[in-house]
Amino acid sequence: MRRGTRFLALLPLLLLSGLALADGRQTVTVWGMSLGPDSQGLQDVIREFERRNPEYRVRILSMGAGGMNPQKLMTAIVGKVPPDVIFQDRFSISDWASRGAFRPLDDLIERDKGRDPLTPRPEQYYPAFWQEACYGGKVYGIPASADTRALYWNKKVFRENAAELRAAGLDPNRPPRTWSETLAYSKVLTKFNKDGSLRQAGFIPNFGNSWLYLYAFQMNASFLSPDGRTCTLYTPEAEEALQFMVDGYKLLGGYEQAQKFQSTFQSGENDPFIVGKIAMKIDGDWIIPWMALYAPKLDFATAPPPVPDDRFHHRGRFRNEKDTFISWAGGFAYAIPVGAKNVEGGWRFIKFVTSTEGRLIDMQGQNSLERKRGRTYMPRVSAQIEAGRLGFERFKPSDPRWANTIKLHIDLASVSRIRPATFVAQVLWDEHVRAVENAASGRMTPKEALLAGQRVVQQALDEELGKERFPVIDLRLPAAIGAGGFLLGCALLVAAYRRQRLGRLARHEAWAAYLFVSPWVVGFVVFTLGPMLASLFFSFTQYGVLTEARWVGVKNFVDLFTLDKQNILKSFANVLYLGGIGVPLGLATGLAVALLLNSAVRGMRYYRTMFYMPAIVPGVASVVLWMWILNADPNRGLINFVWARTISEWFGTQPPGWLTVEAWAKPSLILMGLWGAGSGMILWLAGLKGIPSTLYEAAAIDGANPRQQFWAVTLPQLSPIVFFNTVMGFIGALQQFEGVYIITGGNGTGPGDSLLMPVYHLFNNGFKYFKMGYASALAWVIFAIILVLTGIQFLLARKWVHYEAGR
Amino acid sequence: MSGALWFLVGTLALWAGWIAVARAALLGVQLAMAYDPERRAGRAKGAWLALAVGAALLAIAQGLPIDPGRPVPEAPVRIPLVWVLMPFTAWLALASLAMVVVRIIHAVSALSPQEARQKLGAAAVWLAVGIGSFWLFRRSGDEAVVFRGVLPLSYVGAFALAVLFVATAALMVVTARSHRLRGLGKGVATHTALVLGSVLFGIPFVWLLVTSFKESRDMVSADGIRWVPRVWVTVPYDDPIDPLFEVRLDDGRVVQANIAEKLPNGRVILEVYRPFSQQGLRVERSMDEIRRIPKDCQVVTATLEGRKVKAFIAQNLMDGRQRLRVLEPKELEGREFLAQPSETEPYMVTGLRWQNYSDALQFLPPEANYGLTYLKNTLILVAMGLLGTLLSSALVAYGFARLRWPGKGPLFTVMLSTMMLPGAVTLLPSFLIFRSLGWIDTLYPMWVPAFFASAFNVFLLRQFFLNIPMELEDAAKIDGCSYLRTFWQVMLPQVKPALAVIAIWTFMGAWNNFMGPLIYVSSPENMPIAYAVQLFQSDRGGEPGLIMAFATMAMLPVLLVFFLAQKYFIEGVQLTGLGGR
Repeated sequence: MRRGTRFLALLPLLLLSGLALADGRQTVTVWGMSLGPDSQGLQDVIREFERRNPEYRVRILSMGAGGMNPQKLMTAIVGKVPPDVIFQDRFSISDWASRGAFRPLDDLIERDKGRDPLTPRPEQYYPAFWQEACYGGKVYGIPASADTRALYWNKKVFRENAAELRAAGLDPNRPPRTWSETLAYSKVLTKFNKDGSLRQAGFIPNFGNSWLYLYAFQMNASFLSPDGRTCTLYTPEAEEALQFMVDGYKLLGGYEQAQKFQSTFQSGENDPFIVGKIAMKIDGDWIIPWMALYAPKLDFATAPPPVPDDRFHHRGRFRNEKDTFISWAGGFAYAIPVGAKNVEGGWRFIKFVTSTEGRLIDMQGQNSLERKRGRTYMPRVSAQIEAGRLGFERFKPSDPRWANTIKLHIDLASVSRIRPATFVAQVLWDEHVRAVENAASGRMTPKEALLAGQRVVQQALDEELGKERFPVIDLRLPAAIGAGGFLLGCALLVAAYRRQRLGRLARHEAWAAYLFVSPWVVGFVVFTLGPMLASLFFSFTQYGVLTEARWVGVKNFVDLFTLDKQNILKSFANVLYLGGIGVPLGLATGLAVALLLNSAVRGMRYYRTMFYMPAIVPGVASVVLWMWILNADPNRGLINFVWARTISEWFGTQPPGWLTVEAWAKPSLILMGLWGAGSGMILWLAGLKGIPSTLYEAAAIDGANPRQQFWAVTLPQLSPIVFFNTVMGFIGALQQFEGVYIITGGNGTGPGDSLLMPVYHLFNNGFKYFKMGYASALAWVIFAIILVLTGIQFLLARKWVHYEAGR
Repeated sequence: MSGALWFLVGTLALWAGWIAVARAALLGVQLAMAYDPERRAGRAKGAWLALAVGAALLAIAQGLPIDPGRPVPEAPVRIPLVWVLMPFTAWLALASLAMVVVRIIHAVSALSPQEARQKLGAAAVWLAVGIGSFWLFRRSGDEAVVFRGVLPLSYVGAFALAVLFVATAALMVVTARSHRLRGLGKGVATHTALVLGSVLFGIPFVWLLVTSFKESRDMVSADGIRWVPRVWVTVPYDDPIDPLFEVRLDDGRVVQANIAEKLPNGRVILEVYRPFSQQGLRVERSMDEIRRIPKDCQVVTATLEGRKVKAFIAQNLMDGRQRLRVLEPKELEGREFLAQPSETEPYMVTGLRWQNYSDALQFLPPEANYGLTYLKNTLILVAMGLLGTLLSSALVAYGFARLRWPGKGPLFTVMLSTMMLPGAVTLLPSFLIFRSLGWIDTLYPMWVPAFFASAFNVFLLRQFFLNIPMELEDAAKIDGCSYLRTFWQVMLPQVKPALAVIAIWTFMGAWNNFMGPLIYVSSPENMPIAYAVQLFQSDRGGEPGLIMAFATMAMLPVLLVFFLAQKYFIEGVQLTGLGGR
């Protein structure tokens, strides 16, 4: 009997699967990993999984570089088309879980515990890594990899500078173990060119993969209070850690100098560490296979990352500390998004791929691939203790240099700290990056920088923790009011129509007209009026789509001008820059070309095509092209190639870093825009042709020279076009999105927020975090600013725009 | 700072002095050629004055310490250059100060006290602006930097520059003498400027094409950019030791593969070699299901027994060495030997690497079907967008332009005012609407709205419909045409030019739509080209050759349409007053 019901329960599933695919197999879609020439191991795991579970077919989609674009995943989850499994950076799992985007796995673990030997158990994992994938006492992800950080030092560079190191009282045969030693070594190993730029750096504090996290963890700082309600980004400990980084940058001649140096770094055989451009760096174990490939003979060694002097000597506040060395690790985990179509298949895949067996198949496959290519396989650190141990035993490289390096990374796993599991993980990350940038570049003191970041994180925390005080509202209510209002409006319109008392013919014509304009009317109601009202309503709520909406009153608007003030001001300042400098420049360029064209009689068509062509190049392609033209490396980027051979030679300066430095990022954007100034040129040309020649004749009779004619006749006659284009240019700058999205790759806002634009800010809030309410409020502010700007320009226009009388 | 300041003053004096001397020379030549005594006197006076000023300035410059403050390249002639870098506010302050001086001079030389007062008022306003911007400049904490530069020239270069200068001046003097010649001179100058400008605008295209045809090893070199692409020569070779096979995969795709393993039952396991997206994939086949094909082997120059030979790489071995097979000289042809990659030099000839284009397509995920899927999706967007926009805009515009109905005025005002509404306001709720329709990860959100007419297009078409004479419509009405038929057969043909313009804009908009797919599409099956370009750029960041090839392919259709329909593009800009960007 029981068996029968179970079978019945399965029936719909079977029917569904039959519908899903012709070959009767269900698809398990996995996002965030890539199948390609380098992933034989993953191939093998998938093949073995499909062999054991013939009812499933696995489909892997990488969705962009470096794993998953969060906006893409969030949009898919909210849009109800999520993948079945997501391979996700572990530290952000709590963030996703808090927003209701991931499904807790406890019920599945509980169900399969003891039944299926592949079911993951917490005790199989390093506790820190397991904890990182949990949130609010529930398990949201099963950890896969772990990437501990170690200090890599180039022995050859140390040897070459042995005499100088000895003179400074340092041992050239060992790496630094403490912070002060690190700075001392770095000082000796840093070399400058004659013009003051860096030739070789001893140690760049934030190069490789250390971040403030490592140094702060070594100081025992934690960025969040244990209850997770208070952000403690600023503590004296963290300040000390940041001060160490700032000191490290000072040695190199400042942050900008180091950034510029870094922008010349290449990859492959020319990697800065391999060629000795930097003597020491802190990096994760993912670089090992890659170093073995490009620098098989490199004379280097690894050591635990240097720690604060007091910690090393176990004195002061570290007197009772057990661990001398501290590292930090992140890594990936498998999770299941909410709304996944095929939870069972996804869960089975996760169980298999994270089991010791699955991990070993993966390593075996990768091992055989590497050997076939004539390379050495380098097993990675695994979050699962047993898999990591067995993998190292079976597949460790014979060369002791690599084996020791991997061993060190594995050993560091037990002293590795993790980033706090919190729903503000991403914000905390972004803000800590910003704090490092602010402090290292000298814009703020370490304390100010940390406090500024802390404020932002605390705001995000308070927002989430304090949301309970706002009443939940049922979205059906406003929808009903809206629908009611709409029906009432319709009724009123119908009544108004009735009152017209039209004749038969007129009625006929009216009805035909209503049919003719109905597409726009329907579109207006559905795609403009409805969304507008909805947007207005949302701007007074807090709504994450996956969570319920709460009525917050004008809080969103207040936040715009208080908590988020800095971003908002910066974004509008950027608009002002683009509009104030870029728009006039664009207009002038177009006008200059048009004036030339207007006087050239022959070849007009040819020139016009040449100047206009850039304007019709698809925006995406144009930005991608310019990103390469503006590459900072003078041997790659077209503009810096010319710059380095002319202006740099004459003035003895370095070519600018363009998109990589704050001061030049917006000029780069303007330059890209100028390339498309051809469309304005066409407009000017039409305007010039429309100026009556009698005006010029009259001016000539009055004795005006060509320059006076331009200022007295041409420009006033063209002023309506100037005016129109200025307005449109400003509105365009305000809505700039595509360019900055492509340049930043959708991550970050450019160096020093120099590419933070209002609509881009709105997009991030709206589609990355799904803060519907806040983003809507921002949209209305943008709208208001457009209205005000246009109004001002119309007012000013009265003073200078010349309209032909009678027009 | 003072060194920089002296440099600034000295350089400016030097340049101004030379310009004054040049002007004196020019006037001197004119003096020699002028007949009118009155004019001669004027010229002579001007020439002496310019010469005096120039000499004074040059003398001052000579006396000032013009020191670049750094070692400069050795050159016979060194011309000082100066460049002041200051924030925008500082420039504004400087300009305002200049305006104050100019206005005060105007006021002093004014004819009436009223005019003088007016000029003084203007001077006061400029003074206020200047002080304000100076205050802003001081507050920002930025500094003005004087860059001291030197233009090193060889004797030949300096001489050539001088000759060019003199020739231009002479030309100007000569052409100034006759009206016909003046026109010619002006034409030459204009065309020179235009040619230079179009070259400047065209260089990015040239760079794009050149880069898309380059080998990846030629992307960076210490001697700068390689403008003539080279290709690594390959020869087809059917290698008996490591043969290449053509294999049909289970999904019907044909790929190239090597044998990875021979099974005891006579079947083999093959490992995919190309396309890149499938590389490493293993399939099992029997020998008669696969077809042996020659592989493309790269040609290198190497040394064999002390002789230089031309050979090709037959196989990359497991231990990193390469198996080479000699091509030249003749007596060694066919000999095989092993070499390290470092011992060989690639054999490159000038040519285009078309392979970047096929490689770029092969790197795409398998779902993209070598980019055809992207093209298909974009074409769907374009076709449906065109159909929807043209049809709905024309219908609605006709309704607004030619028919009388209650409520037309207010509704038209509403429609016009929606043009002010930025897309950002409706972005989020629209997403929720499409979500509730289950349209996320489909193409519908990007073309369905086109069927509901956009205000701008309606407005444009309405203007055109209004200009059609009433008689035409009346005639149709008398003939008994229905409204729809009148619209379709009589009115629509009259507004073809406007429709063409709208079609062009719609085509461009649909082809370039980036934000739409970014928000709505996530699987490769539904991805249009514009978004694919961005993903490709972030995926293959280190390979400019492939990226440029892909970008070229993405913009080629648009450029093609542009060349075919250039007239409508230009009309469109003029008609709508919009730049199209």
